[in-house]
Amino acid sequence: MFFLKKAENWFVWIFFPLALLLPLFLEQNEFYVNKLTSVVIFAMFVMSLDYLVGRCGMITLGHSMFYGLGGYLFIMIAPEYEAVNFWVYTFYICVIAALIALVVGVIVLRTSGIYMIMITLAIAQMCFYFFSDSVEFGGNDGLFIFTKPDTSLFGLSFFNLDDPMHFYYFCLLSLFNCLVFWKVVTGSRFGRIMEAVKDNPARTTALGYNVFLFRLISYCMASALAAYAGYLFALQYGYVNPSMMSWQTSGTALVMSILGGMGSLYGAILGTVVYEGLHYTFEHLTQHWLLLMGSMIIAMVMLFKSGLAGVIDNLVERRK
Amino acid sequence: MDFAIFLVQLLNGLQYGLLLFLIASGLTLVFGVMGILNLAHGSMYMVGAYLVWYFFQLTDQFLLSALISAALALGLGVLIEKTLIHRLYKRNHLDQVLLTIGMIFVFNALQSILWGDDPLGVPVPELLSGSIHLTELVEYPVYRLFVAALCLLLAGALYLVINRTRIGMLIRAGESNREMVECLGVNINQLYTLVFGAGVMLAALAGVVAAPMISIVPGMGEHVLITCFVVVVIGGMGSIKGAFVAALLVGVVDTFASVLVPGVSSMIVYILMAVILLIKPEGLFSSQK
Repeated sequence: MFFLKKAENWFVWIFFPLALLLPLFLEQNEFYVNKLTSVVIFAMFVMSLDYLVGRCGMITLGHSMFYGLGGYLFIMIAPEYEAVNFWVYTFYICVIAALIALVVGVIVLRTSGIYMIMITLAIAQMCFYFFSDSVEFGGNDGLFIFTKPDTSLFGLSFFNLDDPMHFYYFCLLSLFNCLVFWKVVTGSRFGRIMEAVKDNPARTTALGYNVFLFRLISYCMASALAAYAGYLFALQYGYVNPSMMSWQTSGTALVMSILGGMGSLYGAILGTVVYEGLHYTFEHLTQHWLLLMGSMIIAMVMLFKSGLAGVIDNLVERRK
Repeated sequence: MDFAIFLVQLLNGLQYGLLLFLIASGLTLVFGVMGILNLAHGSMYMVGAYLVWYFFQLTDQFLLSALISAALALGLGVLIEKTLIHRLYKRNHLDQVLLTIGMIFVFNALQSILWGDDPLGVPVPELLSGSIHLTELVEYPVYRLFVAALCLLLAGALYLVINRTRIGMLIRAGESNREMVECLGVNINQLYTLVFGAGVMLAALAGVVAAPMISIVPGMGEHVLITCFVVVVIGGMGSIKGAFVAALLVGVVDTFASVLVPGVSSMIVYILMAVILLIKPEGLFSSQK
C-alpha cells in the first residue's frame, strides 16, 4: 500500500525476499555477510540523501558529516566500559543529530543550489578536520567501541549484535523501515508540500507556506536517519573513523543515488547495490578497477537519463 | 614574526593564490559560460604535472615539455568536450556531477597505469634555479617569483581577451544569454568547445608550472579541486574577477594560517568560506542575477 508505482512494487518484491534468502547460502562465510550488511547500512544513508536531493531539491555534499557523527556521538555519550541499551541510545543519537541539523540547517538553508553544496561541504570538512586533528578522538585512526550496546527491549532480548547474521537481518529490517518511512513522508500532506517547495519555492510561499520551515524539517529528518546509519556502521565493525565524514563519502553516496535514479527512494538501494557490486567485481578482476568503474559510470550517464530506476520503470511500463 | 619571514610568507601566499587562480579561472569560466560543473577539473591539473614530467624525461628541456604538455591538454579538453560534455548541456547538474566523477576515476586509473603510483619530481629549470636575497639572511627562490609573474601575466591576458576581443565579447554574451547568442548566428558549439579547451589548458598549465615546486603524487588533483571550488564559490560562481580576489585571499590566509595557527590550519579555508557565504550568500562578485 506504500508502493504505489508498479516498478517500485516489483523492486520491493524481488529485492527483499532475495536479500532475506541470500545469507542462508553464505552462512559459512562471515566475510560476505559482513559485506552485505555494510551495503545495506550504506543504502540507508544513501536513501536519506536521495530524499534530500531528489525530493526536496537540497543538494548537499556534507551529508557524510551526520553519517560520521552517528558513530562519534555514540562514543561521546555512552560510557566506555558499560553496555548501554541499544534502543535508548538509538533514540538519543537520532535526536542529537536532528538538533545539530537544526542548527546547521538554519545556517545552510539560507543558501541554495551550488552555494548550498559548497557551504554544506565547508561545514562537513570543518567537522572532518576537527575529528581527524583531535587527540581526544583518536585523530586519523579513529576510536574503538569496546562494549557494544545491549539490545533487550522490556527485558526481552531478540538478537545479538555480535552475531553477523542477526545484525544483517536487523539492518535489512531497518532498511525496509527506512523505505516505508520515506514513502509515508513523501506520500503525506507534508511530502506533497515539500514537492511543491522543490518545484517552485516562490509560488509555495505565495500559497502561504513557510518554505524555510519545511526545508528545515526535511533536513533534520534526513540527518537523523543518516546518523542512524552511521551508528549502525560503527557498531558493525566496532570502530569509528574520520574517513566516514570525508567528502568522498558524500560524493560516493551522491553517485549511488544519481545512479539509482534521483528521488525514487528505492533507487537508492538499487544504486548502492549496483555500485558496490561493480566495485567488488572490478576490484577482484584487476588492480586498475577505477578505470572500469569510471568508464561504467560514464556509460551509464550517457545511456540512462533517469538512473537505473528509470530503466526499470521503462521495462515494467512496456510490459503492460 | 619578524619582517623578513612575514615577507617570505606573504610572497608564498600570493604565489600560491595566483596558481590557484590559474586553475579556478578555468573552472569558473566553464561554469559561467556553459553551466557545466566540472569536477574533473582537478584531474587536469594532475594531467599537466604528469605530462610535463613525462616529456621532461624524454627531452630534458623544460620549456619544450611545458609547451607540448599545454598543447596536448588543449587537445584533450577539446576531445572531452566533443565526445562527452556536449551531450550533457541539456541535462541537469547532477548528471554532470556523475559524469565528471566518472572522469576523475578514469584519469586516476590512467595515471596509475601509465606512470605508476610513486611520487615523481621535475627539477627547476637551470635558468630559474637561483634565489635572490630579500634581506641579508633571507633568500627567496627565483622560480617561485617567476611562477607568480607568469600567473599574473596570464591573468592579465585573460582579462584582455575577455574584455577587449571579439571572442571575449561572445563569451560574455554567452554568459548572460546563450539562446540570444545562438539566434544572432554565432556557432555556440564552437565557442563552448573553445572555452572548455581553454579551461582545461589553464588547469594543466598550472600543473606544469607547479611541477618543479611540488612532488607529483596520485590524488593531487582532488585536493586542489576542493580548494579551487572554495575559491570559485567565495568569488562568486562565474566571475573571473571574483576568482582572482578569492584566490589571493585563500592563498594568503591558508599560508599564514599554517604558520600562525598550525592546529586548525586545515580548517581555516573552510571557515573563511562559511563566513563569507553567511555574509554574502552569492559570493563576493556574483555574476548571477
